Amino acid sequence: MKKLYILVAMLLVSITALAQDGRSLYNKYSDYDNVEAVYISPAMFRLIGKIPDVKMEGENVNLGPVIKSLSGLYILSIKQGAVADELAADVNHFIKKGQYELLMEAKESGEVTRMYTVGDDSVVNSFVMLSHAGAETNFICLDGTIPRDKLEELIADAAKD
Amino acid sequence: MKSIDEITRLSAEDLERISLDESIPVPEELSARVKAAVRKPARWVLPAGVAAAVATLVAVGLTLTQNPEPKDTFDDPYLAYAEVEKVFAKISGTVAYGAEKVSQSEQTLDKLSYWK
Repeated sequence: MKKLYILVAMLLVSITALAQDGRSLYNKYSDYDNVEAVYISPAMFRLIGKIPDVKMEGENVNLGPVIKSLSGLYILSIKQGAVADELAADVNHFIKKGQYELLMEAKESGEVTRMYTVGDDSVVNSFVMLSHAGAETNFICLDGTIPRDKLEELIADAAKD
Repeated sequence: MKSIDEITRLSAEDLERISLDESIPVPEELSARVKAAVRKPARWVLPAGVAAAVATLVAVGLTLTQNPEPKDTFDDPYLAYAEVEKVFAKISGTVAYGAEKVSQSEQTLDKLSYWK
């Protein structure tokens, strides 16, 4: 019987861990005070995909192929010490559990920004950017089936300009 | 007595003929040996399976009810697009900063290797 309890407990823990994603973090923090929260749904991404010539303003970068592959965008911006720290800790936890891979890390004047992706060689299923500086945390999560080459091309092209 | 290889080479007709041949004696303890060889599943396996299935259903139900799809922030796709553009500009800005630092490091390394 003891084995049974252990098995059920392990199952519940693993399912709860799997359930933690951009959406659950958004649902947890978006109603807090002093939190800026933005959510763009798959339906809205389909509408955006119908806008002709989706290019970045002032730059010759076509966002179209990447936008069409997105299924959700979650943004949380918190400028309140304790809650900002809690969000950063929660994001780090879900990054570890979700087997995200660190894409890059940049440190500037005390601000640490990390980018992570999860997917395979050809597709990115989720992209996360976490910036944490003092009492401020910014979290961006892009979900979808993003062609890795298109995403890398887009970021590299924009970075050149 | 036939070896396992010999038995596997027998046709279905041969196997049927042998099984119907009453002149071949059946060892008395065969039935007991077969029963002993076939292990009964542990007593906890069935309740564990049922409990695991129930736990899965409960967890999936909780996940669906406690993690609903949020409400879209924008009603206008152009405003939503502007936000996406801002996000990519922010990501690109960070990548550009990283690329700049790498470039500076490479220049420093080049200078060092020149003076070596």
